[in-house]
Amino acid sequence: MDPSGIFPTSYQADGRLIRTRWQALALVLFLALMLAAPYLVGARIIAVLNMMLISAVIAVGLQICTGYAGQINLGQAAFMGVGAYTASILASKTGLTFLLVIPLAGIAAAVFGFLFGLTAARIKGFYLALTTIAAQFIFHFAVLNLPSTWMGGSNGITVPPAELFGLRFVSETAQFYLSFAVAAIMIAGAFGIVRSRFGRAFVAVRDDDVAAGIMGINVAATKANAFLIGAFYAGVGGALWAYMIRFVGVDQFTLFHSIFFVAMIIVGGMGSIVGALIGVFVIRIIQEIIATVGPNIAESVPFVGGDIVFAGMNVILGGVIALFMILEPKGLMHRWNILKSSYRIWPFPY
Amino acid sequence: MVYFVNDIITGALIGLLYALVAMGFVVIYRASKVFNFAQGELVIIGGFIVWFTTLQAGLSLWLSIPLSLLLAGFVGYLIERIFLTKLIGESVFSMVMVTVGLLILLRGFVLLLFGPAVRPFPVIFPLKPLFLGDMLIPLNLLIGGIITIVAAAGLSWFFNRTRPGLRMTAVAEDHVVASSMGISVKSSIAFAWVLGAILSTVGAMIFLSGKSLTFLASDIGFAALPVALFAGLESIGGLILAGVIIGIVQSLTTNYLDPVIGGSLGSVVPYIIMLAILLIRPTGLFGWRTIERV
Repeated sequence: MDPSGIFPTSYQADGRLIRTRWQALALVLFLALMLAAPYLVGARIIAVLNMMLISAVIAVGLQICTGYAGQINLGQAAFMGVGAYTASILASKTGLTFLLVIPLAGIAAAVFGFLFGLTAARIKGFYLALTTIAAQFIFHFAVLNLPSTWMGGSNGITVPPAELFGLRFVSETAQFYLSFAVAAIMIAGAFGIVRSRFGRAFVAVRDDDVAAGIMGINVAATKANAFLIGAFYAGVGGALWAYMIRFVGVDQFTLFHSIFFVAMIIVGGMGSIVGALIGVFVIRIIQEIIATVGPNIAESVPFVGGDIVFAGMNVILGGVIALFMILEPKGLMHRWNILKSSYRIWPFPY
Repeated sequence: MVYFVNDIITGALIGLLYALVAMGFVVIYRASKVFNFAQGELVIIGGFIVWFTTLQAGLSLWLSIPLSLLLAGFVGYLIERIFLTKLIGESVFSMVMVTVGLLILLRGFVLLLFGPAVRPFPVIFPLKPLFLGDMLIPLNLLIGGIITIVAAAGLSWFFNRTRPGLRMTAVAEDHVVASSMGISVKSSIAFAWVLGAILSTVGAMIFLSGKSLTFLASDIGFAALPVALFAGLESIGGLILAGVIIGIVQSLTTNYLDPVIGGSLGSVVPYIIMLAILLIRPTGLFGWRTIERV
């Protein structure tokens, strides 16, 4: 938000994302730091960053679906799984280049998401949210029960590495650059979507779908579109995931993973792309800490057993969701905005 | 033919068990307008309480069952006090999101407290099946089915005929309107969670009686979800019909269709029925049709 006295004089100026020189500088610095990251930090941190970038793509998709369009989506991991499976089947059976595989994976997931979004034409509110759980179950059923030559059944599928002009994306660094390029395109796209007429329609439907319908927005189509876009992002993220892990199995895409993505956007702040990125960062750091500290605790306190990592992750993430909903329902982004505006108007209280 | 009839009867009885677990969803919804995603976790907590009072503390069944129900009610009350009271007045969206958080929070707690080990569960209902001619009816499910029908009739009467029940029904329609009519939204939600937790524990007793107990048993919550939506989230009596239909279809699918296609279609068929019904009747068979105003 601009300080008082500065008014945009054209529509374009009003929609601008980068408004001040400092914002431009910060963005350039951030991008430069990300590009230089493989030369600055070790392979372990690069792997974590890579995971964050992939989660960011998926969480931004969920942000559009849930944060902007207001459709609770508990099937994001299933949509991601559809993308990951499409990518791995295409890559391992047809040998297509990843430049085609990644968008195709996104489209496959988008079609799957759209099918569930279509039910929005009839179903409203929580009933609609619950159909996304059905998506999760149907995805599992399809993978485990279709002939195992199609989708690998419970064995999963191994994925060949991405290749471009004879260059194989095998090392952590190469995969990081791949994820970074895709994530940058997807996130820039997300900023565009939420400023477009689609984004405005999403917000209108979220705030009040009856009122939005009266104003001439096709509510059912808007909801279905929200699912389509959210699932497309999940599919692209899933394809990146397949290329990074180089193995997909049905256990990687459960309801719990969906809830982790929900936790990310709640912590970051609903209805903000940057919020989704902050949420991804915070939640992934928490997960990383638990994964590092957990085994040590398990060693020193033997009676809790080896499941402490999974259990601790659930307790902490569940607690984080509940705490944020109770104490800070608008997320960290809201806190940051308060901080920013109080800095700007200092020393006045308002 | 005997097998066919037998499958139908067993399916209907399992469907009634689903209906009992689904009743937990509906009771909480009918008194607070909150859809509780953590229902399966409440079943597991109930199961662990029963396991603790009987096999760990060594109490007799006559003592441990009332005690377990009491403890479960207390856990429900505690959850409501810690997490949901603070959200009264916030959007329903936040309340539902909190129950999504609870889903993984409670599962984590159960894992931390009891670990992933498989535990025996006390035999509460006789294990011996009932023989009717050539047919074989599991007795625990039969007793469970009777409990379900009695509970549904009682709760249905409570919510539709008595004053306290109607007050809660008002809360389910609109928190703000209810509280401006002098109804305590707070106590209504607290009651809902106590009742929901107790029903889940009864469900756990029927479901797990004589079997083994792990945290994975919470999947019954998601198995029961389609029953609740099929009936419509507001109808308690409708659960019986929805449960029986879904149970029979699932049983027939598992026994006749699965061997043909070589997969477990039986586990997703409730969801497919649910989606089909929701597309035809968006609020389930007996759900309320609300008129929205802007």
